[in-house]
Amino acid sequence: MKISYNWLKEYAYFYLSPEELADKLTNAGLVVADIKPVEDDYCLEVEVTSNRPDCLGIIGITREVIAAVGGELHIPDTDFETLSAKVTKFIDVTVEDPVLCPHYTARVVRHVTVRPSPEWMQKKLRCIGIRPVNNIVDITNYVMMETGQPIHAFDLDKISDQKIVVRRALDGEMIVVINGVKRALFHDMLVIADSKRPVAIAGVMGGKETEVSDSTRNILLECALFEPGHVRRTSKELGVFTDSSYRFERGTDPGGIELASKRAVKLMKELADGEIVSGVIDIKQREYEKKRIPLRIERLQKILGIEIKRDIASDILKRLQFTIVNEIDNFIDVVVPGFRGDIYREIDLIEEIARIYGYNNIPAKTSICVRGSIKSKYEAVEDCIRQFFIGLGFYEVKTFSIVDVSPLQSVKLWSEQEALDIANPLRQEESRMRTSLLPSLINARRYNVNHGNESIKIFEIARVYLAGNKLPHEKTCLSLLIDADFFTLKGIIESLVLYLGISLKREWIPFSEPKLFRDERAAKIQLDDKTLGYLGEASRELGFKTSFCLSELDMDFLVEKSNFEKRYHPLSPYPPVFRDLAIIVDEEVSWTSIEKCITATHISFLKGVNFFDVYRGKQITAGKKSVAFSLCFQAEDRTLKSEEVETAEWTILDVLHTTLDAELRKL
Amino acid sequence: MFKKTEKVKKDLQEEIRAVTTLTDAEQLKIKYLGRKGIIQDFMKLIPTLPAEQRAAFGQQINALKAEAANFIEDAIGKLSREAIPKVNNEIFDITLPGKLPVTGKKHPLTQTIDDVKEVFARLGFDVVYGPEVELEYYNFEALNIPADHPSRTDFDTFYIKNDILLRSQTSTVQIRVMEKQKPPIRIIAPGKVYRPDTVDARHSFMFHQIEGLLVDEGVSFADLKEVLNQFIKTYFGKDVRMRFRPSFFPFTEPSAEVDISCSLCSGKGCSVCSYSGWVEILGAGMVDPHVFKAVHYDTEKYTGFAFGMGVERITMLKHGISDIRLFYENDIRFLSQF
Ligand SMILES: [Zn+2]
Repeated sequence: MKISYNWLKEYAYFYLSPEELADKLTNAGLVVADIKPVEDDYCLEVEVTSNRPDCLGIIGITREVIAAVGGELHIPDTDFETLSAKVTKFIDVTVEDPVLCPHYTARVVRHVTVRPSPEWMQKKLRCIGIRPVNNIVDITNYVMMETGQPIHAFDLDKISDQKIVVRRALDGEMIVVINGVKRALFHDMLVIADSKRPVAIAGVMGGKETEVSDSTRNILLECALFEPGHVRRTSKELGVFTDSSYRFERGTDPGGIELASKRAVKLMKELADGEIVSGVIDIKQREYEKKRIPLRIERLQKILGIEIKRDIASDILKRLQFTIVNEIDNFIDVVVPGFRGDIYREIDLIEEIARIYGYNNIPAKTSICVRGSIKSKYEAVEDCIRQFFIGLGFYEVKTFSIVDVSPLQSVKLWSEQEALDIANPLRQEESRMRTSLLPSLINARRYNVNHGNESIKIFEIARVYLAGNKLPHEKTCLSLLIDADFFTLKGIIESLVLYLGISLKREWIPFSEPKLFRDERAAKIQLDDKTLGYLGEASRELGFKTSFCLSELDMDFLVEKSNFEKRYHPLSPYPPVFRDLAIIVDEEVSWTSIEKCITATHISFLKGVNFFDVYRGKQITAGKKSVAFSLCFQAEDRTLKSEEVETAEWTILDVLHTTLDAELRKL
Repeated sequence: MFKKTEKVKKDLQEEIRAVTTLTDAEQLKIKYLGRKGIIQDFMKLIPTLPAEQRAAFGQQINALKAEAANFIEDAIGKLSREAIPKVNNEIFDITLPGKLPVTGKKHPLTQTIDDVKEVFARLGFDVVYGPEVELEYYNFEALNIPADHPSRTDFDTFYIKNDILLRSQTSTVQIRVMEKQKPPIRIIAPGKVYRPDTVDARHSFMFHQIEGLLVDEGVSFADLKEVLNQFIKTYFGKDVRMRFRPSFFPFTEPSAEVDISCSLCSGKGCSVCSYSGWVEILGAGMVDPHVFKAVHYDTEKYTGFAFGMGVERITMLKHGISDIRLFYENDIRFLSQF
């Protein structure tokens, strides 16, 4: 809310510069975001939190200044002389919905002269950014900014049959509001109507037909209380947000109605030569009961952690205009003023005391006991994975979980279910929860290529969102993108799996997802017969000049299977023997089948089979290929004799020949 | 035949002694060990020999081959170590750049989250996570933010369905933890949150928060101040000053916003701190009794505090980053700076 420095000083004496005032307010919880000089005044932009509607008027802010620095509040005088004629002679008011309108008041001012308001009033309004219109409109704005209570002035002569009915709108009923826009109303909205039609949307905006104009002579002044939640709903449904609805939806002070109403008619008498009709229409459901809250000093001390004394606490409460009914021993019995609708519990009083005592006067000290914190397995594995990839030169990226609805974004790697859509997206580009991180990584590569960053290696750990029962399943994925070939990335994944201590069976099964992967160059990775993830060369359709590879792994599964328990295996003192072999097999024979064949020989001292080369060329018959690998032999208990190794070698070649029709390649 | 091999060996040794350049040594290698080299020529002779001599000669050749290879490699090794200064008077320029291995980096936001986790882990806080697609109840009602309440204005939210939304704050995790666990509780919950804000230099529809919660008997506002003081001093530096301002959050009472002295201008005032000397870094407060009631805690017995911070915000402050969008563009030139 914008306030004028000079205007504020009319309600209390204090010697604070605008900057000092801003500092006091900020420390009391009313952040002053900006101070701007305007003419011979200053405009202070105050951020009022939604629980403090009492500070949406200058008097309310003055109360805060007084609480902080002391002093006395000067409320403007509202005594005035009236005509002898009674208000009931000019207007009849019925409140049909007392729940939504618990309090309605109306006063009548006759024979006003509508003209520009005086310069002192225009100046103050200008300072806080309100455009002066005419004396009557300016008075309603002035009083609202002063008291925080919205009021509305109708041209009384335009109210049909001198009747006001506060009622629900009829379906399809229309109103042209002050800014000239025609609005259709719905049945649950509260309106102020005359005998024929709605003349205002209660608490939100007045109607065009009954607004004050230059020819207006008689004024009906409404000052009321509307149910905050209802005003908020109406204003949201219509998309109309006004200074009035802003205040009503936060809750106005029921005790402030009389002051605002009297103040406004008095100003109309003074500034528009009006004559105030005697009396007021005042329809209220009940007297407002002021809340009474006992405060335990012991509790206050326990929550704040300081030895604050009772007299200090009660002094602060009094400065905040709370009434102390009684104080004995460790109790203060407090009555809350009507304008503090936010205070209804002991804890609320404690906050008030802390606030004015000064948060910064509460020392930082702790008696919290020592406690150990154990890293969860997820945390440990995640750290480990990050270190692994950083060590390999990968950069970690972070991309958005909300994506567009393009076919690429709708890949179904993890679930056949449809992706989750946002019901109220801001833009089409961000309207769906992603089901894979890979499209985002591809976009990150595109961004980098476009900015001249060649040859990238990136990874991301984040969730994908898979439709579930009530809430979706949020699966954490580890996704990789590398400017390298299939086997480089495959090797990295193999290495990661070993790094995490996972020695379960792994299988690589041909996989097809043309939106992501190049045909016949993608695999589904099985770990312990369950899907660990996917790996492949990026599809050429993605439109990049150079090829790269992608992989997405189930991080939750990796975490589950990771094993950091390490046991020492004695190192063999006997030297290993390596033998390199090259065999010629049919094109269809896969490495896995060769490897399986070799391990099936169960040679106890065969320690490893390491692939190193595939060769197709002149010396090899078409439809065949040469596969070269190295065998590692080592025994735990002896040095191997060359005959043993030779025999083993022949056994292996023999099995390869009988099972896969493999021939030893002669060099 | 055997004499021939002996001679070859001798010749080679002599030639090697004469060799002074790396190029000459390479030539020598081709001459003796190449596919058309001297030793290979011997191999070709094997089939021409009487059968009984073949095996022995073969062994002889193999031994020669191994020896020759050793001699030549030694020479190459030695020369390549000496080559430049000795031969060409070239200077070994130690100031030439080293060959940098490729290194990766954690995303700056991860670095911040890790740093914060570490500070709080030392204070005994466990790390927990919660769902991002969340029931409305956990995002609002349980946190004392009723429907049709103006405080909801501060929490515009993406919805999936009627009562299912994308959490707009990590405070949801407080409730989920307290529902399952009795005090004492000491947790921090990092994670993504979502708000329908139009993207600009300071706003993003997705960002990260870290929520903290401590509940026990006898926890006070003074404890909150000290815990945050320790965090701020560790994370931002010993000389940084801290300021608590009263504020409003529906789920804490009393509520505070915490500022630190602006490190850019040391509190004198600059554009980063809007000339106030202070920058806001987190929100905090004592857990509101309404929140404890939602999880059936005894509000007389237990008290606690909660705090929440924006990961992007504190990362931007710490490193002087002026545009939040940089975090999600993933330009390697940006990522490599942290
Ligand atoms: Zn600064």
